[in-house]
Amino acid sequence: MTRVLVPVAVLEGKTVSPGLINLLGTMDVTVLGYHELPEQTPPDQARMQYEDRATAALDDLSEEFRSAGGAADHRLVFTHDREQTVDRIADEVDARVLAISGMTGDVDRLLVSLSGNVAVDGILDFVVDLIGDREIGVTLLLAADEETAPDRLDSAAARLRDADIAVETAFASTGSPFDALMDAVVDHDAIVMGEQAPSFASFFLGEQHERVAAASVGPVLVVRREEIEEAEE
Amino acid sequence: MSDEPTGTNIQGESPDAEAVVETDEATITDDAELERTLGLSGGLAIGIGTMIGAGIFVFPGLAGAEVGTAASASFAVGGVIALLVALPTSELATAMPKSGGGYYFISRGLGTLAGTVIGLSLWLGLVFATAFYLVGLGFYALDALAEVGVTVGGSPGAIVSVIAVLAGIGFTILNVTGTENAAKLQNGIVALLLSMLVAFLTFGMADALGVVDAGTPPGEAANVWEVMPIMSVAALVFTSYLGFAQVATVAGEMKNPGRNLPLAMIGSVVIVTVLYVLTIFVATSVFTQDALEAAGETAMVGVGRQLLGAPGAMVIIVGGLLATMSSANASILSTSRAIYGVSKDALLPRWASRINLKYGTPHVALGMAGGPVIVLAATRQVELLAEVASFLHLIMYGLMCVALLAIRRDEPEWYDPEFRVPGGPMIPVVGALASFGLIAFMNPTSIVVGAVVILATAGWYFYYARDITLKGAL
Repeated sequence: MTRVLVPVAVLEGKTVSPGLINLLGTMDVTVLGYHELPEQTPPDQARMQYEDRATAALDDLSEEFRSAGGAADHRLVFTHDREQTVDRIADEVDARVLAISGMTGDVDRLLVSLSGNVAVDGILDFVVDLIGDREIGVTLLLAADEETAPDRLDSAAARLRDADIAVETAFASTGSPFDALMDAVVDHDAIVMGEQAPSFASFFLGEQHERVAAASVGPVLVVRREEIEEAEE
Repeated sequence: MSDEPTGTNIQGESPDAEAVVETDEATITDDAELERTLGLSGGLAIGIGTMIGAGIFVFPGLAGAEVGTAASASFAVGGVIALLVALPTSELATAMPKSGGGYYFISRGLGTLAGTVIGLSLWLGLVFATAFYLVGLGFYALDALAEVGVTVGGSPGAIVSVIAVLAGIGFTILNVTGTENAAKLQNGIVALLLSMLVAFLTFGMADALGVVDAGTPPGEAANVWEVMPIMSVAALVFTSYLGFAQVATVAGEMKNPGRNLPLAMIGSVVIVTVLYVLTIFVATSVFTQDALEAAGETAMVGVGRQLLGAPGAMVIIVGGLLATMSSANASILSTSRAIYGVSKDALLPRWASRINLKYGTPHVALGMAGGPVIVLAATRQVELLAEVASFLHLIMYGLMCVALLAIRRDEPEWYDPEFRVPGGPMIPVVGALASFGLIAFMNPTSIVVGAVVILATAGWYFYYARDITLKGAL
């Protein structure tokens, strides 16, 4: 089954909304409890003081995920660098999807973005697995200015319909993909998007999914890019 | 000999020990993982960033005033001793990549008494070193004021103290409340300093060797090429070589420690040694001994002015401010790690390593670092502060070499360093002798102050932590 990594800043009182826990009931879940420390603090020092509290909270969270249906376990990491930790754990547990928690009630409708340089097949496969036989509708969004874009959107919608999913499509040929996503997010309970290939813009603005997560209230599920080449280090 | 530390201190606290698995990316304990986030450049930045503040910007005037160009030999001697210690330290650090550095190796290799003495004197040694950097910062700030036309009436010395104390308070507060990671800033500052220095030294060398002529008077330093004065200057300037051991205090946070720790420690020693020797050569070719003596802590500003006019002086002032700040800041960070290492093993009360949830910083340890620093910085005794810092570090360096020999002899099952010092016991033996030997060349007052600190820490062991066993434990 597909594994989803759910990072939670566990000691900052962050938790996972019930809506997201239910949505991920069809998935295997690894809850990544992390605590990011300033460089003045050795991670081991924080572990000594907070390990017990963090572990108790993570045990509870994993239990909630299990009672929603899927298999769930957890990892606890003290770190100076959240991004490095999330990447490492996602690789180690072979998680294909990253869930950025946000507030939501029951999820009735997903907004699935296919814009940008993303692995469309991977995203669609994940959406089919995620929804399973539940009554969750999907809006497929594509912001692009090529001529073939509407056709790509239609064939993607057809694939989801084959899996008995109720699909609407939205196409934006002008404006930035980010704005298109933010305009469309109203009336949806969660966003599914792909991890963008590293680009000039992501170097300066940060990863797009991070920006989306910061701007939207609900949870964001990010389908990770397949490792094509090994990282340089 | 057990694998776990045993015993309790006078308050009934026992060492916090847990079996861990070390990987290149994280330390894995029973329930949690500790991410390793520092790369090679981060390690080099800590090592170099701690060291160049003192060696380039504070000592050239003081050292050149004593022995002229022969001071480059003093710096070379210091560099060789540092290298002799950096090699054994690298072996120990790759076998035990933990927070606490020298303290950790010595407590495991030589037992609790040596461990307590070194753990506490590492803390206090860093306090002396930080105070020294802050006084250097004060002198540069004074020059900066003069350069922009602010004349200080009354006693300039008092102004230096005030600036040093304010900077000490400022750094402590920043470290307690600052949650922005300053690591990248530190890396940037070190890169900037290095490129400034390379440009400056290239020009200075060309001038000194007569390739270009910046109109400097020919150096007439009556160079004192004699062993005793050279060694006594080496003992004074050894504070310029304390930074590589600070790399060991963050060993627990270093990625791929088997490779990065030796490279960062040995690399930073080699880089700064070359820079120091060149700087002294340039400074003493530009100025005579008398002129260097008169200029004192900020003689380099005069050297910059001679070579490149007012812009040259400005470059050195800015460099000096940045370098002494980065040294002071890096040392405060290491100090709180040193305190944590000792408190984890119950040699200091557990509350010393508390962290607050609001900022996530170890406010108690930072206070224990910053408080005494401020008091010492107010004294403005540059040479005394530097020598006591060196004294306390040299004791640790010597004992690290001895610890390496002891651990190699016992060869506990867990001892499996990725880096081994070549040449059998040669290098650690010479390293230990050289470290202890250099102390003999110090000013008697510094030796007395250092010895009092060592005795006090030994007294603390007998009072507080006699029943704790750390030797051979991992």
